[in-house]
This record gives sequence, C-alpha cells and structure tokens, in this order.
Amino acid sequence: MSGSERASALRAERLIGQLLTGVTYVSVALLLVGVGLLIAAGISPVSGGPGMDPGRLVSDLVGLKPAGFLWIGLLAVIAAPIARVTVALVAYVRDKDWLMVGVSSAILLVIATAIGSAIVSTV
Amino acid sequence: MIGGGAAAGVFGSLLGLGGGILIVPLLTLGFGLPLREAVGVSLVSVMMTSSAAAGVYLERHVANLRLGMTLELFTATGALVGGSVAFLLDERFLSLLFAALLTYVAFTMLQARSRDTALSADVPEVDTSPGNGPPPRPTVLDRLGGDGYQVRNLGRGVVGALGAGVASALLGIGGGIIKVPLMHLSMGVPLRVATATSNLMIGITAAASAVIYLIHGGIDPYVAGPTGIGVFLGATAGSRLGHRLDLRYLRLLFVVVLGYTALQMLVRALE
Repeated sequence: MSGSERASALRAERLIGQLLTGVTYVSVALLLVGVGLLIAAGISPVSGGPGMDPGRLVSDLVGLKPAGFLWIGLLAVIAAPIARVTVALVAYVRDKDWLMVGVSSAILLVIATAIGSAIVSTV
Repeated sequence: MIGGGAAAGVFGSLLGLGGGILIVPLLTLGFGLPLREAVGVSLVSVMMTSSAAAGVYLERHVANLRLGMTLELFTATGALVGGSVAFLLDERFLSLLFAALLTYVAFTMLQARSRDTALSADVPEVDTSPGNGPPPRPTVLDRLGGDGYQVRNLGRGVVGALGAGVASALLGIGGGIIKVPLMHLSMGVPLRVATATSNLMIGITAAASAVIYLIHGGIDPYVAGPTGIGVFLGATAGSRLGHRLDLRYLRLLFVVVLGYTALQMLVRALE
C-alpha cells in the first residue's frame, strides 16, 4: 500500500469510526427517551410491546409515545453497521480497491438477502 | 430490567465477554420471555455496545478494518443461515445448545489464567526487513495484514467465521469467544487487534440476523429498550472499573453463575 493509499485508508477508518460512535449515541439517546416515557406511562416492559409499523413511527414520535422512540432507536442500532459498510464501500471505490469493493458489496448483498428472505417467509 | 442489563454489561465488560451470554438467561429465566425473543433482544443489545467500542477502536486504528470486513462477510452469511433456521428449531433444542455454550464458557473461564499466558506468548513474529530484488506482488493475505504482522490460514478463518455467525444468530451472542482465539491463535493476529476486530465484526453479524428477528416480530421494543440501555451503561462502567478490581474472585463467581445458569437452561430444555 502506497503512502497516499494508506493515508486515504486511515481517513476512511476515522470517518467510519466517527459515524459508528455518533449513530450509537443518537440511538442511546432515543432509547433513553423511550424508556423514560415507558416509565412515566407506568407500562411494564413485559406487557408486550407493539410490533414495528413503519406507517406509525412518525405519529408515535409526534405523540410522544414510547414505542416511536424505542423503534427509531432500535432501527438506528441495526442500521449503524450497515451504514458503516456502505461508507466503506464508497471509500474503497474511490481508492479503486477492487478486492474490498467486492467484499463490501457482498456483505450488503447478504444483508439484503436476509431482509428479502425474512419478508418472503412471513408472507 | 435496566438493572439486570447493567449487571450483564458490567460482568461482560470486566471479563472480556460481550454480555450476550448473560442477557438471554436473564430474560428467559428471570423475566419468563420465550428464548427466541430473548435472543432477538440480546442481538440488539450486543450491537449497541460493540458499535460504540468499534467506533473508538477504528478512530484509534486498533481494529483491522480490511480483515474484519473480509471475515464478517462469512459471519454475516452464517448469521443469515442461523437466523433463518432459528425460527424452525424447537426452543428446547435452542435451550440445550445454550446450556452447552454456558458450560463451555465456564470451563474456558476456569482455564483462563493459563490460556492468557499461552495467548500472549503465541504472537507470531514477522520478518519485515526489506529483501533483495523487486518486491513480490502482494497476495490477498498480504493485503489483509497490519503493522508488524501477516495474516495466515485464511481458510480456517473463513470456516470459523461461518460457525461464529451461526452461533451468534441462534444464541444471541457476539461470538467473541470463537472469533478472538480464531484470529489470534490460527491467523496470527495480535491479541489486541483480534479483540478490536472481533468487536467491529459483531455489528454486521448481528445485523444480518437481527433484521430476520425484527421482520418475524422477534424483537419487543419494551424489552429491548431497557435491556439495551442497561447493557450499554453497564459495559461503559465496566470498562472504567476493569483495572481497579481483582478479577480472580470475579471470574470464580462468574463460573458459579454460569454453571447454575447452564443447569437452569438444561432443566428448561428437558421440561
């Protein structure tokens, strides 16, 4: 790896690290608000929460319902590593690192297959 | 639930485990949740702690991103298989698998002192001195190595990563107990780098199966929120407490807790 390639890789690592840390803290903040609302409403955590309904997320957030904050926080937790791989893919394309472009693309394909297969099996 | 999650996070962090190994028994045995739901919640909780730690490791350039991404392609594939199979398996069989995992971890904890010595002594030395003639074209393994070490046995790494992915998806664990020794002992990666890289890999591995649990309705937000917050806060506190405590007694206590939990899971499996 040449000096400029190495410098570029280190920059990408720092950016990805900051992205992961940032998204994690945002998700922790959202979950804290959700848990606070859960406690304030006197809802038991083992009472059975609502399933994820994308159509209700915004209205639950605006209506200060715990499920809205909890679901957005949980989705952010799951999305953080996927975003990390996407950012890495862009960095590897820019550096013309075709081996890692292939690896990053294959990882995203596995995630897409997981989502697709789960949707198909629940229909 | 927040307190239980925090205890799992503190214990996990102090003893070098992700905490997932304690979350599933806590939720099933302590709160009466079905095992699969507990696994879904555990996956999200270990993702929270691993993402925060992995971010710091990457910013400090401790984790090997290229190696981590190469191996996580296979852990994610394993997790895709494990996550899909998890909804077809009998919960009693999963409980039996979990009891076996707890017993294995308890035994490795008992042997931890001698293993720590072996691990630290086994870092391979790499000759990085320049030779004569033009440098050979770098191989894939050369390109996955880092400062002062070369990666070897990629095939073994791939097989181990697949297994770690399946175990993570079935049992809701980060899988560091498999990946760290695999990278360090089989692939020649220094222990510190192996630990950081394993942490980095948890995120995408757990994401591959978490999306399956999510779509199948296997994640309850009312349980995942408090548990995740508890584990995150506990792991953060544990990482600050680590150097101030005598871990010998804690490790022994942990072995007892693991043994008791394994027995309870076994009873659950045989019910």
